[in-house]
Amino acid sequence: MLLSRVAANLYWAARYLERAEGTARIVREHTSLFVDSPSSLRLSWDPLLAVTGGESMFDDMDNQRSETDIVHFLLSEPRNPGSIQASVGSARENLRSAREVFPIPAWFVVNDLHLYVTSRVEEGLHRRSRARFLGHVITEHQRLIGVLTSTMTRDDAYTMMRLGRHIERADMALRVLDVRAGQLLKSREPQELLYDDLQWLSMLKSLSAAQMYQRQTLLHGEGSGPIGFVLHEPSFPRSVAYSLASARESAARLPNPTPVLATIDHARDMLGAVDPLSLDDVQLHDTVDRLEVAIAAIHKAADAAYFGASAETVVRDVAV
Amino acid sequence: MGQTVRTMAEMEVGTTGWNELLFPDGTARPAAVALVAQLRQLGLAELQERQNLAELDILAMGITFTVYSDGRGTDRAWPFDIIPRVIAAAEWRQVEAGLKQRLTALNRFIDDLYNDQNVLHDGIIPSDIVMSSPNFRPECMGSSPKFGVWAHICGTDLVRDGDGTMRVLEDNLRVPSGVSYMLQNRAISKRAFADVFRQQSILPVDDYPGQLRRLLLSLAPDSVAGRQPSVVVLTPGVFNSAYFEHTFLAQSMGAALVEGADLYVDNDDRVFMRSIGGPQPVDVIYRRVDDLFLDPECFRSDSMLGVPGLMRAWRSGNVAIANAPGAGVADDKVIYSWVPNLIRYYLNEEAILPNVATYRCSEPDDLAYVVRNAAELVLKPANESGGYGITIGDRATAAELAEAVAKVKAEPRNWIAQPILTLSTAPTICDDRLSPRHLDLRPFVLSGQDTYVTTGGLTRVALVEGSLIVNSSQGGGSKDTWIVETP
Repeated sequence: MLLSRVAANLYWAARYLERAEGTARIVREHTSLFVDSPSSLRLSWDPLLAVTGGESMFDDMDNQRSETDIVHFLLSEPRNPGSIQASVGSARENLRSAREVFPIPAWFVVNDLHLYVTSRVEEGLHRRSRARFLGHVITEHQRLIGVLTSTMTRDDAYTMMRLGRHIERADMALRVLDVRAGQLLKSREPQELLYDDLQWLSMLKSLSAAQMYQRQTLLHGEGSGPIGFVLHEPSFPRSVAYSLASARESAARLPNPTPVLATIDHARDMLGAVDPLSLDDVQLHDTVDRLEVAIAAIHKAADAAYFGASAETVVRDVAV
Repeated sequence: MGQTVRTMAEMEVGTTGWNELLFPDGTARPAAVALVAQLRQLGLAELQERQNLAELDILAMGITFTVYSDGRGTDRAWPFDIIPRVIAAAEWRQVEAGLKQRLTALNRFIDDLYNDQNVLHDGIIPSDIVMSSPNFRPECMGSSPKFGVWAHICGTDLVRDGDGTMRVLEDNLRVPSGVSYMLQNRAISKRAFADVFRQQSILPVDDYPGQLRRLLLSLAPDSVAGRQPSVVVLTPGVFNSAYFEHTFLAQSMGAALVEGADLYVDNDDRVFMRSIGGPQPVDVIYRRVDDLFLDPECFRSDSMLGVPGLMRAWRSGNVAIANAPGAGVADDKVIYSWVPNLIRYYLNEEAILPNVATYRCSEPDDLAYVVRNAAELVLKPANESGGYGITIGDRATAAELAEAVAKVKAEPRNWIAQPILTLSTAPTICDDRLSPRHLDLRPFVLSGQDTYVTTGGLTRVALVEGSLIVNSSQGGGSKDTWIVETP
């Protein structure tokens, strides 16, 4: 038995936490790339805004498109619901209304993470201490998933969190591809292509996919390249295909899942039809757009099937 | 050794109030001998270190209470002092017997009031006092909950006066809170004083959630047969000051924590909760919502917290509600003053636990006395909780006192007055020393087929020097309560 309201709380908490982790990876990797990138690359911080989808909100807030303002916006801006601090805060608020189904040791982790982020976010703003701060956010979320995996009954509550986490993860991977890979597919001057390998690797790193990609390709050849790996690799747990398969597995365990399964199957079919080697930057962008709409449809179906009757204490995302 | 000497010198007994740990000459009371020896040996710096660690634990475990600011509830770390308050087991057994006696009589009284009203016909308590209580619910007339019990969960506040007598200050029969903090305080204090726990016999408190769960299951309507009764905790929501406790209790019992909007009542007067798999039946509701917000159909129609039709379902016997609607009539502070008479009337016994002397402003002689002597009395509204609306005669300004007296005269039925008690004290970690601070004690009593009393209860302490206000909403803190077997 899982209350509709509590189901929504768990689903959103999982999404917010996954988003915080994803944002932490992206900012960490971009900082690392930026620090020793040659000036000829003319690397800017704008792609970070594009990936996280907060460009217009950012500009409305009277910010400069500078490292300082962009990193602040992504890490600690309270008015940005997707900032790491706001995401972790929203996750904790949602879980506060779901504690009776949430394992106590897992609550301690969330609470620790929240305390850490609120008291130490300043460290993330300075380039020197940023990697350590973001690394801690990532490992704390990993620790949470570990605690859930090893302490929580595989009931509807667990399944609901897993569904939310994988929907968010698929969405995040698509955004990274769109922005980071899109740039590299554009036709550019020859001297701009000089550091492309580095940049492809960096794209993979922001999804924690670089090491697994290298292993895979050394064993089995280039295959369909980094884009193919992120989209299709069925055995890599952060690929879009894997996330959608996990979302499907999760949804299939919930009561009356037919409408939700239909939307997931639709998204998977659409994904299956994508040939990553034939895409230019415009086609990649269109493809990602269509897949994101399909993923939003999964969310809407879950909302209608399970959260419809939920009360207003759920901290919801305004952007979706 | 310098450190030890300094700490010993700094542990003052205090000049006012009965010190719970120390005799007036500074030696330890029998139940506190091991603790006091340990405190002296540890020294102040070590105690402060342990206090800091305890506060970190509280933060990490997310033990909070909610305060209201900018229209939104924010949760704050629970204030806790590591030095426990100690009571000898032999004394506690007397208190326990007194509480069981008191709750048995109070439940008989409530059941009588909503049915035959013999207590009124026999002139034991004036009818107009009962009928004019804002917590008397005519909607409950003729109901008879299982076991004849209405107040299933009670938090009774006890104070120890200047000569060491434990007295009942008030009964909380509506939605008493604090029990989760009692349990958490123990968890924290076990870490802070693991060594002392090993050295002596301190009775455990952890069985409360299990006892509560057993009680709630026992209340399920008899019609629930062939399946496990479904028990829920009903909370006003995340902005309520006791929300931490609501989740804690639901969690410890394995019950669903529901809000009003999660429930509905169908046309056959049955209660359901909205789950992702469709409607699920509800048999027992441990409600932490006040009567008037329970059911907009029956009480306040503007209540967003309630469940329309809940009273119908309860009266039809399809769902048990703990505490039963209307139980609060017995914690009216005017009716409180009759409790010793009620014990005599229903049980033919004398009260084991005495009340605090109480002047009923509804009675002309008492009112005249109160008006004349207001500066030496505590004036209390009859139906507030959380320490709100109280005027302490010798601490109020002349203007505040005059204002309070005017309120009393305008509505004498709604006021009582009591002598200003010197509450007992216990050493408490203050900035640079251990100082005596005033405290009270809230044990919790569960009533069903039988009666259970927590081992000790929640000790609340006024952290400000000389203050008598222990409510956490008003700057109070808390301590662990040790019931200690003495050889």
